[in-house]
Amino acid sequence: MNAIEIRNLSKSFRGMYAVDHLNMTVPVGAIYGFIGENGSGKSTTEKLICGHLVPDGGDIKLFGRDYTDPGVRVRVGALIENAGCFPNSSVWDNLMMQAINLGLENRADEINRVLKIVRMEDSARISFKSCSLGMKQRIGIAMALLGDPALLILDEPINGLDTDGMRIMREILIDITQNYGCTVVISSHILGELEKIATHYGIIRGGRMIQELSAKEMESRCRVFTSLKTKDMLGAGSVLKQKFGNVREEEGYLRVYDVDDTEMLVAYLLQNGHVVSEIRKNKVGLEEYYVELMSRREAE
Amino acid sequence: MTHELRFETPTFTQRIKGMLGVDFYRLFHTPMFYIFLAIAAFIPALILGTTGMSNPDGTVSAPLYTNVWNAIAANTPLYAFEDMGGYANMNMVFIFGGIMVSIFIGHDYKSGYVKQLFTTHAKKQDYMMSKTLVCAFAMACMCVTYLLGAVVAGALVGLDFSVNFGSLLIAILSKMIMSLGWASLYTFLNVIFRRYFGVSIASSFLFGTGLPIIAIGMIVGNSAGSFLNIFLYGSSVYACLSANMVTLLVCLAVSVAWAVVYNVLGSYILSKSDVY
Repeated sequence: MNAIEIRNLSKSFRGMYAVDHLNMTVPVGAIYGFIGENGSGKSTTEKLICGHLVPDGGDIKLFGRDYTDPGVRVRVGALIENAGCFPNSSVWDNLMMQAINLGLENRADEINRVLKIVRMEDSARISFKSCSLGMKQRIGIAMALLGDPALLILDEPINGLDTDGMRIMREILIDITQNYGCTVVISSHILGELEKIATHYGIIRGGRMIQELSAKEMESRCRVFTSLKTKDMLGAGSVLKQKFGNVREEEGYLRVYDVDDTEMLVAYLLQNGHVVSEIRKNKVGLEEYYVELMSRREAE
Repeated sequence: MTHELRFETPTFTQRIKGMLGVDFYRLFHTPMFYIFLAIAAFIPALILGTTGMSNPDGTVSAPLYTNVWNAIAANTPLYAFEDMGGYANMNMVFIFGGIMVSIFIGHDYKSGYVKQLFTTHAKKQDYMMSKTLVCAFAMACMCVTYLLGAVVAGALVGLDFSVNFGSLLIAILSKMIMSLGWASLYTFLNVIFRRYFGVSIASSFLFGTGLPIIAIGMIVGNSAGSFLNIFLYGSSVYACLSANMVTLLVCLAVSVAWAVVYNVLGSYILSKSDVY
């Protein structure tokens, strides 16, 4: 069974498709990194899943049930655009309202539990409007975590966070998936962060899903390369290009793609009169993979 | 803690209990409700306290009321506008109640909290019903503070308190019952104009003043206007100091009928359109 199964989902605004016959499959227990440029349809898809928007057509199934089934929706937590809290109410009151809304018993215990998860036990009594952006994002996560959700939909939860905030958010997300068994759909532009936690990816462009793959598949598709430096970068580059083909100069380094035998590279360059001053093995990351994929799509 | 993938469909009672719980919690934990209760008490006190005061030129204007209970309801149903005294009574609670409902629902959308509600509540009638019931309760409470304000101010000014107590009680109860219908109208208007806070307040105010019914009343006249009782403003006017059990039943039927109509329409609109 999949946590989310979407077939042919469409949504248009003033005749323009924001989501265009989209298919999407999110396995149970996954951290699904939902990637796409601005206006690609990520947030619209998430809003459709949460029932905030009415689709033009298509099917959305959550855990094998129709997404309008109250039984499944009551176990969906969401953080879309903002935490959705009353600014003048305290953090505690906001969480209490959501706990009541979900019909939870032992509400105070449940609120303390989620506050502990998001590391905000000491901030329960302050008003929401006086919280920092990072705190507000964590309160949004806490709201979404109330009531033992089976599915979390998080739209750009790490946007605007500082390095420490991002680290805390990453730890929280790993914790809730590993220890609480949640399935998480998370959209973000910060692909480096996403790469550290995602188990699956969905890449969307122009409202259409252009690729879905697991982190393992992504790893196998990501090419290795060796970056090196010599005194004569231009000369070394042309020598390497003759033998290995795919060589590029980027950020002051020569990148030799699909070659990770550094000894062989050093020996070859030496034979051709180039001394290597710096060399290291690398792998194409999610960000580069995404950029390459988008470039290929544009070229098509 | 292990995560079980068990999905139990909540019953209607469980769903509405959750939504009502949130709305009542919000109502009692925000100053707005108490401010409106105070406003409701202040209005009759202001009217009764300043009526018959001396003008700057030394003349004394005729008092708006000589009997304190006219601040609660007119002696007979006055659908058409005749004078301020016949118009300005407990029905004004429904005008201010409309503004309160607009703010209450508007904050749902402005804060984004509505996203939390609609993520976990797939059935839109939960939202309509809960808002209607909570706002009806708030308006009924405003009727009570309005009554208290009128009684205290009337006693301080020394107005006449003589009345048919049974009719007065029925009139007050009927107006409190009418809160349900009015709350459903305002909830409906605010759902329609949810993206335009100013328009929702203006439309609530327009309907709350009863202008459309007053206009018809001016055409047909008060004596021929009993058919106007099928409307919210009409039956609110019908609840006057000559009220009897029929008045109470009419108000109950009209209030409940409109509440059902507006809830069905509002739920349908919400289910067929985007939340924001």
